Amino acid sequence: MTNSIQEFEEAEVFFVIGSNTTEQHPMIATRVIEAVRKKNAKLIVADPREIKLAKLATLHLKHRIGSDVALLNGLMHIILEEGWEAKDFIKARTENFEQLKGIVAKYTPEKVTKITGVDRDSLRKAAEIYAKAKRSMIVYAMGITQHIAGTDNVKSCANLAMLTGHVGHPSTGVNPLRGQNNVQGACDMGALPNVYSGYQPVTDPKAKEVFAKEWGVSDLNGKVGLTLTEMIDGAERGDIKALYIMGENPLVSNPDARHVARALRKLDLLVVQDIFFTETGRLAHVVLPAASFAEKMGTYTNTERRVQLSREAIPPLEGTLPDWKIICEVCSRAGYPMNYNSPIDILDEINRVTPSYAGITYGRLKHSWGLSWPCPNEDHPGTPFLHKDKFARGAGAFDAREYIPPAEPPDEEYPFTLITGRVGFQFHTGTMTRKASILEREAPNAVLEMNPRDARRLKLIDGGTVAVESRRGEVHLPVAVTSDIPETVVFSTFHYSEKNINELTVCAIDPVAKIPEFTCAVSIRRI
Amino acid sequence: MKRLKKDNVVSFLKEMNKKEKVFCPQSVDGRDLMFMPLEEGVYTGNIGKTTISAKTVLFPQTEEILSFTEKSISKTIDASKTLLFGIRPCEMKAIQFVDQFMTRDNFIDPHYQSRREKVTTIAIACHEPPSDTCFCVDAGGMPYLENGYDVQLFDAGDYYMALSGSEHGEEILANKYFEKGDEEDKERLEEIKNKALHSQKNSPGMQKAIEILRENKPDEAFWEGLADRCINCGGCVYVCPTCTCFNVYDLPSQGGHIRCRSWDACVHAGFTRETSGHNPRPTQGSRLARRHEHKLKFDIVNFKESGCVGCGRCSDTCPVGLGAIEIIQELNAL
Repeated sequence: MTNSIQEFEEAEVFFVIGSNTTEQHPMIATRVIEAVRKKNAKLIVADPREIKLAKLATLHLKHRIGSDVALLNGLMHIILEEGWEAKDFIKARTENFEQLKGIVAKYTPEKVTKITGVDRDSLRKAAEIYAKAKRSMIVYAMGITQHIAGTDNVKSCANLAMLTGHVGHPSTGVNPLRGQNNVQGACDMGALPNVYSGYQPVTDPKAKEVFAKEWGVSDLNGKVGLTLTEMIDGAERGDIKALYIMGENPLVSNPDARHVARALRKLDLLVVQDIFFTETGRLAHVVLPAASFAEKMGTYTNTERRVQLSREAIPPLEGTLPDWKIICEVCSRAGYPMNYNSPIDILDEINRVTPSYAGITYGRLKHSWGLSWPCPNEDHPGTPFLHKDKFARGAGAFDAREYIPPAEPPDEEYPFTLITGRVGFQFHTGTMTRKASILEREAPNAVLEMNPRDARRLKLIDGGTVAVESRRGEVHLPVAVTSDIPETVVFSTFHYSEKNINELTVCAIDPVAKIPEFTCAVSIRRI
Repeated sequence: MKRLKKDNVVSFLKEMNKKEKVFCPQSVDGRDLMFMPLEEGVYTGNIGKTTISAKTVLFPQTEEILSFTEKSISKTIDASKTLLFGIRPCEMKAIQFVDQFMTRDNFIDPHYQSRREKVTTIAIACHEPPSDTCFCVDAGGMPYLENGYDVQLFDAGDYYMALSGSEHGEEILANKYFEKGDEEDKERLEEIKNKALHSQKNSPGMQKAIEILRENKPDEAFWEGLADRCINCGGCVYVCPTCTCFNVYDLPSQGGHIRCRSWDACVHAGFTRETSGHNPRPTQGSRLARRHEHKLKFDIVNFKESGCVGCGRCSDTCPVGLGAIEIIQELNAL
């Protein structure tokens, strides 16, 4: 997020696109809800489904699935035509504006209405509300990123914010909501194939030198590694022989689950490290039982880039170890003695080799509610919002993108579009939440949400069972009839391994980020 | 009437702690004020208003109620002598309310009752409201107690004035830390009471809200409109001093199983969903209606008093303004 969570309280306009905020980021949603209720903030929700937040929205744009680039370009087209763009900001802080102008010029309201299904008046109203306010915030989540055009979607959000000067100040910016307590931290720490901690490229000789020196080795491999989706493909091809998976359950969370199972079975060695015995763990040659959050100390970096200390509440259960200790043991046995005494030692190292984390020391975290990076030294107060006077790269580069249609559009054989997501009471593949009785009681099974008109056409009643079939598999689910979802679109969740919706989803990936699209075409028949 | 110097409170509590477990409002590192076992150096004398009420002591968030194997079953009773120091009058009222509920129709909850019997209460009257959301007077209560306590303390600056409300209270007042007061203490006490009664500014209008509910004025749209902003976290229920609904489940334990109960919340769909899948409270709006009708309508039918004591904890906790105060205000606006 370019802003901090607290800044939501002072925003004048929220443009929420591809985020079911109430279910997935409830504590952020409450700030949106309260800003709307108490301070008359305006709320624009762009989502094909009538999600809970949409019920409070000033304007709900039900754009077609995967038409985000067209929608965003369309808004920018109107903004430029009306002269609502931030001319001074564009001049002082951005570059490549002509490229943007050239592309968005093509996205006339007529064209955009045709692609997105959003009428001209709503487009104009949304553009006006967003552009004219002083403090407008873009809020997005996986509904923007999980597309073959995921990178294009993100760039288009950034283009819109720069075009209107809605970034670099309090309560206005671009806010991707991170879905797990430490997914920001995992990325920050270089759990990515191409960077060390603090996003220092593995290909940069200077960065390599710093880390080689810190770790006492003569040289480090400067080759960019593989992403998760590429690893699974590599395993199926036989190029990847061994996988070591920590705290992830790709057999249930990745698209095209049958393909994942085939790939994992081909491995010579599969190691799974988790706090519970997961579906993926059942395919493993070696399972390493890890300790839970309550049984270890360490730091988490949340969605607002805030690093917070977490303390050990109870000692690890017998037979388990905190992840950091398991990694140290494995490394040591593999010939590289790794001898950290505690997570404090590890944080000290992070401080030494990660400029954005240099000032986020144990001594400071111990006595605070955490610090947001960048925090370059111990006197620095941390950074609540990013890009204050200049962008990280200097000038903000516009990079307008063209709309591309989704990878697997519906057709005669598979006439429905299946989208997947989560509900508030379950988390991800349910490894943890399905073991909590009240959470499981609230959301005990997967259902297929369907529009009443579709249900009538298929002669289905609420609760009736259907076979949902895609090019990759078939899953049987009870139907939940709701007008919250548009016609020819169906929705289900991926929390339930016994009805694994990801056996249906498609692993078409974004060419840059390699993130999968999931959304796919399905057919539905009554059984 | 006696006096307890504030400087002597910790010494007194330490002495009591030798014989029974003392719980009092404490906050660790500036975090939420909670009822916790007395810890030297943590207790600061700040009584305030705890985030969660003292019900955590009598009715813990999670407790084992029985254990069983294939051959045997035994009730788990875990109660020891406990002193609750620093509970507020509204909480004492809530405990009295829960006492009725837990023993209704001679159906006695043995786990609650066994703890309750062993609890001594030292309440501290509110000479001024501990927070802006306090509305006990509006809710038909008072910032001090007429009965139900063992000892009640009144803040008189450097010391507390102490009244006993039971035989056990008399015994406590015999403790050396309680000193004799002077002639004017009686007058002083009336002054504090009077000032306390008039210091509460918050009056959302509960009696009128009760009338409005009795007349069935709020329709479905009213409740569904409020529900649009409910995030279904259950926070209002968990912090409520009179909410006692729980869920029961079994867990494996050494050589057998234990049955536990944990706090549950009526705002969750699964709370009322039946095995068939039918839910008599099918929407979030209907569940919010049930919750507030329960407190302000049906409790009055069953117990002759409302289930809301005006502590304001739900309003402190709800992140989207759906606590009792806001609901009462919304009802009043109908």
